[in-house]
Order: sequence, then structure tokens, then C-alpha cells
Amino acid sequence: MREVAVIGVGQSTFGKFPQKTVVELGREAVLAALQDAGVSPKDIQVACTSKIYHEMVTGQSILKEVGIRGIEMINVENACAGGATAFRGVWKEIATGQYDIGIAIGVESMTTSPIAGKLIPPTKEDLEGQLGLTMPGLFALLARRQMHEYGTTLEDFAMVSVKNHHHGCLNPFAQYRKEFTVEEILNSRMICDPITLLQCCPNTDGAAAAVLCSIKVAKRYTIKPIKVIGSALLSGEYRYLQENMTISPLGSKTVKMAYEMAGVGPEDIDVVELHDAFANEEMLRYEELGLCKVGEGTRLIREKATWVGGRLPVNPSGGLLALGHPLSASGIRNITEIVWHLRGQAGERQTPDAKIGLAHMLGGVVAGIEAGACGIHILAR
Amino acid sequence: MANRIPIREGAFTESPDGGILLANRCRSCGQIFFPKAVFCLICLGKDIEEIKLSRKGKLYSYTTGHMPSMYFQPPYTIGYVDMPEGVKIFAPLKMVEGKPFKIGMDMEVVIEKLWQEGDNEIIGYKFKPL
Repeated sequence: MREVAVIGVGQSTFGKFPQKTVVELGREAVLAALQDAGVSPKDIQVACTSKIYHEMVTGQSILKEVGIRGIEMINVENACAGGATAFRGVWKEIATGQYDIGIAIGVESMTTSPIAGKLIPPTKEDLEGQLGLTMPGLFALLARRQMHEYGTTLEDFAMVSVKNHHHGCLNPFAQYRKEFTVEEILNSRMICDPITLLQCCPNTDGAAAAVLCSIKVAKRYTIKPIKVIGSALLSGEYRYLQENMTISPLGSKTVKMAYEMAGVGPEDIDVVELHDAFANEEMLRYEELGLCKVGEGTRLIREKATWVGGRLPVNPSGGLLALGHPLSASGIRNITEIVWHLRGQAGERQTPDAKIGLAHMLGGVVAGIEAGACGIHILAR
Repeated sequence: MANRIPIREGAFTESPDGGILLANRCRSCGQIFFPKAVFCLICLGKDIEEIKLSRKGKLYSYTTGHMPSMYFQPPYTIGYVDMPEGVKIFAPLKMVEGKPFKIGMDMEVVIEKLWQEGDNEIIGYKFKPL
């Protein structure tokens, strides 16, 4: 396998933009990534685009607008892990020597999607979905178990949202740039108890893109390539095998693969972007990524270890909670954020001297399966 | 007279004692499946038998939804119930006056109408506190 680098990243401003088409959102991110890389559209040899709520050949529709056509283009869907899947797709093309340079794109217009303003359900034919399961419903069931098993409090959950909204204030791309107090978060509208509105990621329109190339080609464009040192993507196990639903065999297995490939461990990570679709979820991810022991996620929040300025910043971008969550875009957007930290370009939210960062995405609810997909990338400067 | 249509064919039955969930068990490795699997999804064995799950289990977790789900208008409560056979069942939960939901409480299967579709009543399983 060849070493692969990220030489350009870009994202659109996240927010509610129902007047913008998926193509417009995608084009904004692609142009930003190409410009950041200093790469001509003519140099791109392969493209992989992730989306859920758009019709056919989304990548082709976006790329023709920027002068890219007539190359291999793939469109993928993997729920919220779609962006990570597209990124890994391009990484594989280059790592295996098929191509030297390619672009990964994630895009979603949630405000014009069929689920705008609704709770995200499983697919129509899914038994648990028919019986009333929704995304916040599932995470609310986990939240209640976290309280039962680990003594996590409602205030602890709210504090995750306080943190990520604070981080959002530091990010010019964020949908919500507003501080909230624990009380405001707990007193916002109840969605699925104990999860309130301000502990849920919002409906967001946006896109992100990343230009990847072989390390040899990278040296033509930059003296600061960011290396992809770990990449792993797995689907979930049968739920039958998961006795304690707050412990994720899928996440643990995926991150183990990524750490082994990268030759690093959780102690080496300087900055993390992870799937915080709901505030309580962030603490579960700390544990499965090995940032702390099982049951100690609450402690990291209470100690403020994961704030910008803390020992290990998590979701300095504002995360899905404040930056926003255009489903298929988030898995590339969070790699974009990690790249900025590794280059020292993250502005007010910069992690000092960040050398290694981790981007995590998780997606898809299916009856009987722990989760659809978990995608993890480890990047280093 | 409305037609009673089960939400899934063969997933449950009604007995004089009340509702019973129908699962199946692999005779080779012992894995239990609910809803039923066509063959064992773990060891791929084809020798698989239908079993009746216990009528009672313990509440693993619960939540009340305050926005509509696919078929239910709020408020509706859903949860997971641990069955003695070692499987967790996701189901709507039925409120019983004076018995607030609590993790670990005893729950019992009930079979009843979930929602109406034209002339059809869609029938399924719920759990209620004992």
C-alpha cells in the first residue's frame, strides 16, 4: 500500500439554506478544496461522492460545474458514515496505486429532504422503526442506561452541549454560534426524554470535500502534506451479541483496526472529531475510542478535559450539535477540521501543536444490528 | 368489522394467558432470534426450531417520544425489555396507572392494535408493567 496524503480540504458554511441546491452546496466545498490544494480540476483522476437525499449521479452533477468530467466517479451512501466512506474510497484508490490524485465529496440538503423537521426513522420496512424507534429515541434509551450504569446526570449530558456550542462560537462555518447554559439546554423542548432539543443535532445543509494524493505527488503541491495513517470502516454486529447497549463492539473493533494500522494508540491523539448527534452520545464515544475507560466518559466532561484548551479537545469545530450535521457531509467535514488543526490553521479553536488527530463517524439504524457503519480516520502531520 | 393484520406474520400469537412472542432457536449453537431468522445467522446451521418466549421480561430502558415517529403520535413510550431467554426486545410500552416505568421492573407482553390503516387494524406486541 502506498502512503496517502490530504493536500486540500474545504467546506461550505453550514446552516439552513433551502434555496441552495445540492449541486450549489457541493460546488462551494469542491472549489474550496481545489483552491486549498492548489490543484487544477484537470488533475483530478477519480472522485467519490456521498449523499443520501439526492437523486442520481450527484458527484457528476457537482463536478461538471467545476470542469471535472470524463473520469471515474463513484456515488455512495452509508448513512452518517457516508462521508467517511467516500474519503476511504478515494484513499483506497490511491493507496492501491489505481490513481495518484482524487477528490472525496460529502453533501446533503437536509432542509429540502423528505425528513426535514422530523425525527430520522429507520427505513420504511424496518420493524423497529414501525414500532416507534427513531434516532433520538435510540439515544434516549442509551442515555437512560448511562444514568443507570455510570451515574451520569442530566447536567453532564447538557454540559457536552454547552461545550460544543461554545466551540461553535469559535468556528465561522458553524450553524449555531451561540453560547447556551446547562439550564437553557435542559429547559429546551423535550424530544425523547431525557434528550431535549438543544441536545440534538439540527437539520443542516452543507458540503465538504477533500483532495487526496500519493505522498510522492503531494510534494509537488505542498511542503505540509497531512498523512492518512489509519483508515477503517466496518458494519455493525448483530445486536443479539451486545449485552450492554452502552458498550459498542462496533466502535471498539473499528478503532482498534485504525490504531493498529496507524501504529498509534489513544494516548498519542491530540485532537478528536466524533459523531455527537446527541449530547449523551459523545461520552459513549470517548469510551469506545479508548480516550478513557468504560464508564469514565462522564469524568472527562466534568474535568473539562475535552474542551478547547483542555488536555484532549473533542469536537473543537462545534461538532454535529453546533456546527451542524448535513448527514453525508459530516464524515468529510470532520476530516477537514482535523487537517486544519494539524496544519495550525484552526484559528481561535486551534489545538496547540497538534500532531495526530482522529475523525470518527457512525451511521445507520437497522433492527437487529448495532449500527450501520462506523468509519474512523487517523491523520498526522 | 375491521381486519386484524399482524405487523409481522408469525412474530406473535395470542393464548388464553395473553400474548406470546414467537422466536426461533438454532439447534446447533443455541442462538435465539426474534424476529425469526430463516437459518442461523451466527453458525449458518439450518436446523432451527420455533420457540415461545416467556411472557415476562425486565425493562432495560425506556423513553417517551414527544415528536411523531413513523406511526405514533406523541406522547408514546418505547423501550427494550430483557427476556429470560437472553434476548432484548424493542417494543412500544403501554402505560399502567400507578406503575411508572423504572429500569429493572417486570414487564408483560400484550397483543393489541398498534394503528389503523383504512379498514385494517395493524396488530402488534407491546409490553406493560406488571
